[in-house]
Amino acid sequence: MSGTAGLALATRGLRKNYGSRHALDGLNLSVPMGVVYGFLGPNGAGKTTTMRVLTGLVRPDGGTVEVLGKPFKRGDRHRLFDVGALVESPTFYPYLSARANLRELAASGAPVPSKRIEELLDLVGLCDRANDKVQGYSMGMKQRLGIAAALLSDPKLLLLDEPANGLDPAGIVAMRDTLRALAAQGKTVFISSHLLAEVQVMADVVGIIAAGKLVREGPLKELLSMQGVVKVRVRPNLVDAAIKTLQPLAAADRLIESDREEGWLAVHVSADRAEDVNQQLAGAGIFASGLESGTDLEMLFLELTGGQAVGGEGTFVGLGAPTNGSATTGKETAA
Amino acid sequence: MRLFVSGLRKLVRRPASWVTLGLLVGLLVLILIAVGGTASDRVNATREAAAKDLVTFPGAYSRVLQFITGLGGLFAVIYGAAIAGSEWSWGTLKSSVARGESRVRYILISYVSVAVMIGFGLLITFAAGVIAATVGAHLANVSTSGLGDTATLGGLPERLLKGWFAIVEEGALGFTIATLARSQLAGIGVGIAFYFGESFATIFLPDIVRYLPFSVANAALATTSSGTGGGVLGGGVTDVLPPDQALLLVGVWLVGALVVAALFADRAEIAG
Repeated sequence: MSGTAGLALATRGLRKNYGSRHALDGLNLSVPMGVVYGFLGPNGAGKTTTMRVLTGLVRPDGGTVEVLGKPFKRGDRHRLFDVGALVESPTFYPYLSARANLRELAASGAPVPSKRIEELLDLVGLCDRANDKVQGYSMGMKQRLGIAAALLSDPKLLLLDEPANGLDPAGIVAMRDTLRALAAQGKTVFISSHLLAEVQVMADVVGIIAAGKLVREGPLKELLSMQGVVKVRVRPNLVDAAIKTLQPLAAADRLIESDREEGWLAVHVSADRAEDVNQQLAGAGIFASGLESGTDLEMLFLELTGGQAVGGEGTFVGLGAPTNGSATTGKETAA
Repeated sequence: MRLFVSGLRKLVRRPASWVTLGLLVGLLVLILIAVGGTASDRVNATREAAAKDLVTFPGAYSRVLQFITGLGGLFAVIYGAAIAGSEWSWGTLKSSVARGESRVRYILISYVSVAVMIGFGLLITFAAGVIAATVGAHLANVSTSGLGDTATLGGLPERLLKGWFAIVEEGALGFTIATLARSQLAGIGVGIAFYFGESFATIFLPDIVRYLPFSVANAALATTSSGTGGGVLGGGVTDVLPPDQALLLVGVWLVGALVVAALFADRAEIAG
């Protein structure tokens, strides 16, 4: 596979069809080593199918996968010895305890030292309940146990599908710290999620998928700097003049949107250019009564995916978000 | 080896193992003690003799074994289906596959664990049945001098082994059906339907049914080369296969069922 050196995970032209539906339609992922990678996409975009392909649960119809620098094809199950995964909801024997579940899971796949189970129970905060049957566990406790199960083999690559599901705020913070610590040790953490705020806090690199294709991938900071917005409020009768004044600041392919009744303008420039915007307006004799700036993964996500879910229907319309890739209203979506 | 030991540990801790064994032992003990306790109350001598015959050794050894292989076969179908189906229903197969475990190895070793559990269950139930028949014999005032019949005792290991083999084959069918259905409940339901369906089918298709899995399992345990077949119900009357031929077919069905289960699991797309 070309151009995959230094990648923990790479897919090229990955395809998977369910009947006539293209769940994955030529997916090209490049996940660098030692980062937390946020894999984002609306419902039905192909995130879970990707996770299933990466863990050998389903086989792709086309394309290639490389795991930790080596091809991962049918029969290459040993590649997964260095991979830990939590795919969809965590699954356990309900009549066994957490400790017993981890012990029995450890009997499959890569060998696991017995002390590792105790370390992981401690790590996910389940030591006190480790001998209780899993059938009595809350969703959050099962999720913690699922994360422990994914970490059993001390994997170099960790694949987690919606890891924050069911976790309480303390659990989310603890999970975030754990995953960051793993990345700091050189391990790669691949998180599939629709919790944008969580990914924004945690991820180094993000990939956004829509309709089975990767629509954007790159370092989060870089993507967000391209997605900055400065909102400025002027008198409603000065909106046209303000747009004319600020147009040179905005990138050529970006729009300045306005809410004329309220006098808000959203200028798509790097968030650190708020001062330039203010100065430009003042230079034209227009004085802002309000000024806000920021960057937002949600805005980037909505723009790239068109706020779409399964079947391409806009599911965020009722919340005031856009129904296509570009028409945002500054007031409702700007940071 | 660690997968096999893990499989056994899971089965030992699983309530379904003990419920299945408890039901089989409970029914057998209840029947033998009830028959022994009421043998003398029968309205005529023929019925009294038949009741006493059930708890009279050495014949009681055969009767206990027949009960186990008959009803035990049905229980094995249900048990095998429960074990295989739950791997899909609970998603535990998915977790192991995602850890790099071989699907074929996982399926086959899981069933080896089930087969070992069936062996333990057979021995425990047989021992409980012999004890219950002895108690029943005392209640019926029947001599237990036949308990030590050396000819019968000498043949017991072979008969127990054949019984185990036949029950393991029946369990494998339930296991495979549930694997194909990817569901515990569907597997149990379809397994039971097959079991009784084969019994009823002897009425219409006796020449075909005698080659089918439950009929060959019964025929393999027969001490003579002709008689009736058709599972726990007794089914329709038909000529059964000679025991040696039936035993060979039991092996064919067992291997066939496990190959189908393993191939299906290997090719299946695991979701949910």
